[in-house]
Amino acid sequence: MNMNIGLSDVLLISPMIALFLVSLIPITAKVLRGNREQPHAVTLAQALIGIVIAIGLLIVFGGGGKTAFNNGLIFDGVTQWMGIIALGAAGAAMVMMYENPSTTGKQFSELIFLAMSSAVGMLILVSAVDLLMVFIGLEMMSLALYLMIAMSHEEKLSKEAALKYFILGSFASALFLYGVAFIFGSTGGTNILAFMDSAAELVQTSRLFLFGITFVILGFCFKVSIAPFHAWTPDVYQGAPTPHTAFMATAVKTVSFAAFLRVIATKSLIGSDHLFDILQWLAVITMILGNTAAIIQNNFKRMIAYSSVAHSGYLLIGIITAGVSDNGAFGASGVIFYLLSYALMTLGAFAIASMLEKSENHIVNVDDLAGFAKQRPMLALCLTVFLLSLAGIPPTLGFFGKFYLFNAAIGEGLLWLAIWGMISSVIGVYYYLRPVVVMYMKEGNAEVASHSLNATTVTTVIMALAIVIMGFVSGPIFSAVEKSLF
Amino acid sequence: MILSSIVFLPLLFALIVAVWPKSNTIRHLALGLSIVEFILSLALFRQFDPNSAGLQMVEKFMWIERFGIQYFMGIDGISLWLVLLTTFLTPIIILGSWTSITERVKGFHVAMFVLQTAMLGTFLAMDAIFFYVFWELSLVPMYFMVGIWGGARRIYATVKFFIYTFAGSVMMLVAIIYMMYLTQEATGTMSASLLDFYKLKIPFVGGTFFSLQTLLFFAFALAFAIKVPAFPVHTWLPDAHVEAPTPGSVILAGVMLKMGTYGFMRWVIPLFPEASEYWAWLFMLIGTVGIIYGALVAMVQPDVKKLVAYSSVSHMGYILVGLFAFNAYGMSGGLYQMLNHGISTGALFLLIGMIYERTHSREISKYGGLAGVLPLFTIFFFIITLSSIAVPLTNGFVGEFLILLGTFQAEPVFAYFAVSGVILGAVYMLWMFKRVFFGEKGELVKDEHHPLHDLNAREIAVLVPLVIMVFWMGLFPNHFLNYSKASIDYLVNNRSNYNLTIVEPGATSTQHAQGGN
Repeated sequence: MNMNIGLSDVLLISPMIALFLVSLIPITAKVLRGNREQPHAVTLAQALIGIVIAIGLLIVFGGGGKTAFNNGLIFDGVTQWMGIIALGAAGAAMVMMYENPSTTGKQFSELIFLAMSSAVGMLILVSAVDLLMVFIGLEMMSLALYLMIAMSHEEKLSKEAALKYFILGSFASALFLYGVAFIFGSTGGTNILAFMDSAAELVQTSRLFLFGITFVILGFCFKVSIAPFHAWTPDVYQGAPTPHTAFMATAVKTVSFAAFLRVIATKSLIGSDHLFDILQWLAVITMILGNTAAIIQNNFKRMIAYSSVAHSGYLLIGIITAGVSDNGAFGASGVIFYLLSYALMTLGAFAIASMLEKSENHIVNVDDLAGFAKQRPMLALCLTVFLLSLAGIPPTLGFFGKFYLFNAAIGEGLLWLAIWGMISSVIGVYYYLRPVVVMYMKEGNAEVASHSLNATTVTTVIMALAIVIMGFVSGPIFSAVEKSLF
Repeated sequence: MILSSIVFLPLLFALIVAVWPKSNTIRHLALGLSIVEFILSLALFRQFDPNSAGLQMVEKFMWIERFGIQYFMGIDGISLWLVLLTTFLTPIIILGSWTSITERVKGFHVAMFVLQTAMLGTFLAMDAIFFYVFWELSLVPMYFMVGIWGGARRIYATVKFFIYTFAGSVMMLVAIIYMMYLTQEATGTMSASLLDFYKLKIPFVGGTFFSLQTLLFFAFALAFAIKVPAFPVHTWLPDAHVEAPTPGSVILAGVMLKMGTYGFMRWVIPLFPEASEYWAWLFMLIGTVGIIYGALVAMVQPDVKKLVAYSSVSHMGYILVGLFAFNAYGMSGGLYQMLNHGISTGALFLLIGMIYERTHSREISKYGGLAGVLPLFTIFFFIITLSSIAVPLTNGFVGEFLILLGTFQAEPVFAYFAVSGVILGAVYMLWMFKRVFFGEKGELVKDEHHPLHDLNAREIAVLVPLVIMVFWMGLFPNHFLNYSKASIDYLVNNRSNYNLTIVEPGATSTQHAQGGN
């Protein structure tokens, strides 16, 4: 392969370079200070500056469908939007790390370094169009995460979560790589753009290719926790420190869906009815299972974890829509918009959970929220907004996310999937209302952790406001997403 | 701008109340603001042209251009009275809750105003998605109202209420999206405007369940039937009513249930004319069963509030029967009955709340002989009872009479059965009245440690407007019916080709002048 790296390639990947360089600052400072932590606030500020720079570079140099590194990376609307969502979510999660008792120990600089390395992996993942690049992005993102979870101070649960995540994550990677090998074997290449137009035909003519694409999809199903490959999700989400969970549930999921979208956009689903049917059923099972399993959870984080499984199901509807649609931009922008709303509300819910954790191994149950509305009316209102949005009640952003997603699905004739989606969102209402009931209608004494948690509170309020305000201007946002895609 | 002001002012009021620093004057503030809102709605009433069947005072602009979703409001003879009912009842409810809501007063009034916005928006929105946003938004404040200020089983009741009504409406959302695609197919551009929906010719095949129009019809009808609530999806209502605080019950019975019957008039019947006609028997049957079933169950209730809740099921059944008679009598009777039920059942819940505040019990068997102790209260209760059982010269009579007239014309069989509801209604209300107010004094009434006081000035102020309305509407129904006549006639005569037009502001004023002569 003939590699010519020019200035345009460097400019295009400048967000990653910037992010990587900034991520070195905290640990370098720590080394220079004789292995003493600089103030955590400084570390956080450096990280956030890095993220802002990366987002800026992504907006300035990305877009327009430019490719870099021999078509290995592409910078289009998907890259930009998903990258911005993921980086924003990562930033919010870092703010939570700054104040959560289980992540504010002596290794904060290392933690931030790992989180930012993970974010670099994410940026690779959102822009990768070569399956091997996808793999590199996935691994870079995941490896940093395994370490992040494992190095937390929480003892048993975190280690177990890290191990579970590592083993199942590796399994998913192996499946994915296996699939890539099949694809390479049948087409002689791993670049999605190369077999983009012929994939629909290839799945019919080449059994090898069909195997390959199926394994690649299965690998993604693991990563984005589609049932029945979701089993790790609740355990890992519950076991990891809450800011890490927020990071995984939003940023990681967003970029994984971005890569999933690129593979699906090859239209292989049109070629294979079986693949199409299987994915539809997976979506239905995921939505129903996620929502019903969430009902019986008392642990708040576990409940949101199952809810995030259900949301993967909704997103899978969008992915399928994008896969079978001639107008892929519509389905894809449904997915992106949904991820935008999902990231905001899930981050918000975890932020509240993070604030309620008073000590390292504190477990937040739904019942612990009793009296929260009296103690902290503002935060209770924010949590209500997040939960109503997760449930899809208008006029929140979550409603419009579902509306655009199901709208695209119905437009493609996937009416019955939309109906399943609606039915399962009714089930969802039941458990989303429970924390609201406990907060407002039960007597109790819910306290947020003693150290004031200003940064997290501010982030939470901003996210709640964004959910309400963006609900009203969702139309222009959606159009902007759609226009940027093609 | 008047419609937008009417809909969104309460939201602004909610904000004002939320940031109001003095907690002891919140009630006064809220009352004042709600009266401002009522006066504004009277201004709207004055501008309204009763001779036009079209949409008046229309305000619209593109909201979500990609899908043709508009910010689109308009008013006609059907929604006019429901808007006025909402703004009329709100100050009464706020005044009525003066002493019954003592905790989290601020939150209560915030919820009240948000709810008012949601309900008014539902009645005025003319774009399907815009409508749906208000429709669902109304659940949230009501959910808090029952859940925070309600009775012992409030959480069960409020969750049941929320899930029932939410479950009903999600299929409507699917149907709305589907219809947006139908407009795209028909005209090339997607639209969620109700006026564009009316123009759709949706294929209908009689005799089969699986024709497009039938499916869409049921998706909408289910949402509205749950809200009404029609038998057999009514079970959330008694729970919600019994557990709700007095103001919650009043707003629920007074206005929220009307969102369902309004939905039938505005959406289901004109949008799916063939399917409505074909399945009319089903809804008349459901309505009739509701009338009789609700009345029979009401009869055996030991709890007076539950009795009134089941009487709502019965009364709302009438409205359903009237609407599906598809003639001017039935329809205008249905609309009239919506207003009547709002006023008389609202008043009943207020009265029950007043006596509950005094004795902390609603059990009929513990009362008795109240008439001797609380004469004023008895008089008010009696007047409202008469209105509830539709005695001539009260508002209830006009509504039920028109409905039965219309039903008899359309389907005599249902009229025979529905008319028994009139008798049953008299039975359960009068029997309850007798047991509570006459006979030997019950244990609560005799209790010498807690002597009962008759109505105070505030309570009289709450009830007097309602009593005035009872007689005004009973004696001069044409004052009210004239305003909706044009719209209802148009709906009845052009059901299969309903084509609501927008009345330009200039045209309205000239027509209004003619109409005044």
